[in-house]
Amino acid sequence: MRTPRSRLALAAGLATVLALSGCAAPSPDKTDGSDAHVTVGLVLEPTDLNIRKTSGVALDQVLLDNVYEGLVRREADGSVADSLAKSHTVSPDGLTYTFTLNENVHFHSGNALTAQDVVWSLTQVLDDASVKDHATIAAIRTVTSPDPQTVVLTLSNPDSNLLWNLGGRAGQILEEKATNDLATSANGTGPFLLKKGAWKQGDSLTLDRNDDYYGAKAKVSEITFRYIQDPTAAINATLTGDLDVQTGVDANLRPQLARDADVKVTEGRTTDKYTLVFNPKVPALADPKVREALRTGIDHQAIIDSIGGAGVPQGGPIPELDPGYQDLTKEITFDPAKAKSLLAEAGQSNLTLTLTVANHYPTVISNVLTSQFKNIGVTLKVNRVEFPTWLNDVYTNHDFDLSLVNHAESRDFSNWTNPDYYFGYNNPTVQALYAESVAATDPKVVDEKLAEAARLVAADNPADWLFTGKSLTAVRSGVTGFPTDSTTSRLYLANLTVTR
Amino acid sequence: MTRFLLSRGLLLVLGLAVASVLIFLALRFLPGDVAQVIAGTDATPARIAAIRESLGLDRPLPVQYFEWVGGLLRGDLGNSVVTGTPVASEIAEKAQVTLPLALLSMLIGLAIAGPLGVAAALRRGRPAGFVLSGSAQALAAVPVIWAGMLLVIVFSLWLGWLPAQGFPRAGWSDPGAALRSLLLPAITIGIIEGAALLRFVRSATLGVMGQDFIRTAAAAGRTRTGALLTHGLPSVALSIVSVLGIQVAGLLVGTVLVENLFTLPGIGRMLVADVGNRDLTKVQSEVLVLTAIVLIIGTLVDVIHRLVDPRAREVTA
Repeated sequence: MRTPRSRLALAAGLATVLALSGCAAPSPDKTDGSDAHVTVGLVLEPTDLNIRKTSGVALDQVLLDNVYEGLVRREADGSVADSLAKSHTVSPDGLTYTFTLNENVHFHSGNALTAQDVVWSLTQVLDDASVKDHATIAAIRTVTSPDPQTVVLTLSNPDSNLLWNLGGRAGQILEEKATNDLATSANGTGPFLLKKGAWKQGDSLTLDRNDDYYGAKAKVSEITFRYIQDPTAAINATLTGDLDVQTGVDANLRPQLARDADVKVTEGRTTDKYTLVFNPKVPALADPKVREALRTGIDHQAIIDSIGGAGVPQGGPIPELDPGYQDLTKEITFDPAKAKSLLAEAGQSNLTLTLTVANHYPTVISNVLTSQFKNIGVTLKVNRVEFPTWLNDVYTNHDFDLSLVNHAESRDFSNWTNPDYYFGYNNPTVQALYAESVAATDPKVVDEKLAEAARLVAADNPADWLFTGKSLTAVRSGVTGFPTDSTTSRLYLANLTVTR
Repeated sequence: MTRFLLSRGLLLVLGLAVASVLIFLALRFLPGDVAQVIAGTDATPARIAAIRESLGLDRPLPVQYFEWVGGLLRGDLGNSVVTGTPVASEIAEKAQVTLPLALLSMLIGLAIAGPLGVAAALRRGRPAGFVLSGSAQALAAVPVIWAGMLLVIVFSLWLGWLPAQGFPRAGWSDPGAALRSLLLPAITIGIIEGAALLRFVRSATLGVMGQDFIRTAAAAGRTRTGALLTHGLPSVALSIVSVLGIQVAGLLVGTVLVENLFTLPGIGRMLVADVGNRDLTKVQSEVLVLTAIVLIIGTLVDVIHRLVDPRAREVTA
């Protein structure tokens, strides 16, 4: 340890510069209670703000529910709650949805929300195939407004996913008369608004409380999201007090936060599915024995340990937060000897495969996989690529052996029912079961059909689900109401409070 | 002199023209495009194609190239494909972080390299000189990232004097806070740049010390150090200016790394993000601007060298 005196000596020159730049210790610009300004660290920044065009959960995180609102809202636990709608009813045949709108709703432009804005917004999405999530509400046949407070949707066939999808991008309500540029500004009805210049691209995005909000107003006046990709820099920002909340804490760096007693780390559930896909178009992987061998050779707990424990085993395609979940982890157990003999039976004792993985995931995952596969006689070459390269090679051109990405979206089982998706999985029984689950009007039937379909998918071993991610959030004491679950896709912050 | 200036100017324009073709083509070899990035992992090929068409990415490459260059000739750097904002204004905004950072780093580098380099030369063969040039060798080899992390641990986490990362949202309207947030990053680059420069200063000084005019001054009764400081340093400064011109490119690379490490919203971090988004119109203009800066500074250094040093004028006259 250095003595205070040598510390002084060490930094004498610097102190002079500091004095010259005329600055003492930074004065806290945060006040208490409802005037509070909260700074939240996020990892991924949206490419632009256009919710109609641009994909990515980074956009959903900040703008959905906070700035834009749909008739309904997705909750952190996976349920759906009324939002712009005060209440809604669904006819017993599942073909008519009637929404009663809240009163005195205004857009951030100052104009009142009308039922016509709702009709227009949904019609826009229905009519334009290039709009993001257009297909998710395609079951809607008509959108009408019998009176200024009511919107009625009629469906061509029942769709058990409709409410959930209305809580997503496709269901967000925009103002018909607005002319603002969606890519750089936002005009919604939510509890927070985006002022001009609020998005400093490459740095931060600030939400201000909407003081004219029709419902319970937000409890803090301003929230700044700061985008910090480097995990160490993010930890430092928390330790120096620059951040009040840090999302996406790297579990391996978590012990560093322990030195600040005012920071607590919460663990939340997510639908982050780290999916290792086996390309069925590769001859070796078309053999069911080889796929089973690869899954049998993976020690999931070792992978989870390597990332600091920030995951839970996921035996099949549906994660815990989604409908149709069941524990399938016992269906396939880690057994290197069995894996080896399966490979021998398949005549693949000397197999070499290439793994294409997006380079923003921890290197340690592919390292552990490489050594686990080596144990069963499979040579794994790892090709770490930029995400756009992954999109081009794997997603678009289906040119890969094994692929690993995190499918963060919730309720995306339908990818297993689309033979053209890069999974290349084609099982008519699964497709039929999924169609039955969509058409069902009873949530219990929906669950059962999905669970059955998921079990069939898992048994075919078209992929391995390495783990479901856990979201680690560091929260400074005095900050309450920050969501813990599903924070990688949604961050509804109207209930965020600060007391200090 | 006019002929020299003309030929240098021509070389600069030619250099930029070649660079524009190389940059444009090199970026087209990157796999994946912005339409795929926008469309994400739940898009159909039809939707990707529609986005590609709406952005004009389906047009032939020569058309896209000449449209870009045509804009450049009119002083228009183009617009971001993703957000539609003008690239020039984006660069101007981010330059408010990057330019002061580069300047500050260079000043710190010079402040280290100048005195210590001369001292190392004067103490050549003695323990102090050995320690100085030895530690310069070692420091110049230190990775920027590692040096930055170490400085953060000491000055931010341990002493709590300087911010560990970030730049004030209000920018330069609070100059003190802005400067504070640039200090650690600038020291990070400055130390390593300074160590590299130190070796140049040392060898330049040694070269000058062997010159006849120093010996003459010494014969006239000056001490060796005194002769060097009054008569030798202008010559040393001249060779440092040339080296600085070359170092600019290295400095820019340094800022890219350091901006990411310290999460500073500068040109380097923007460039990395834009490549990640495959916002190629923006990337190609940004890279061309950086190339232009390096080429222009190189040309300027050449010209200054010519103006200041009479010997260089005589050679081509």
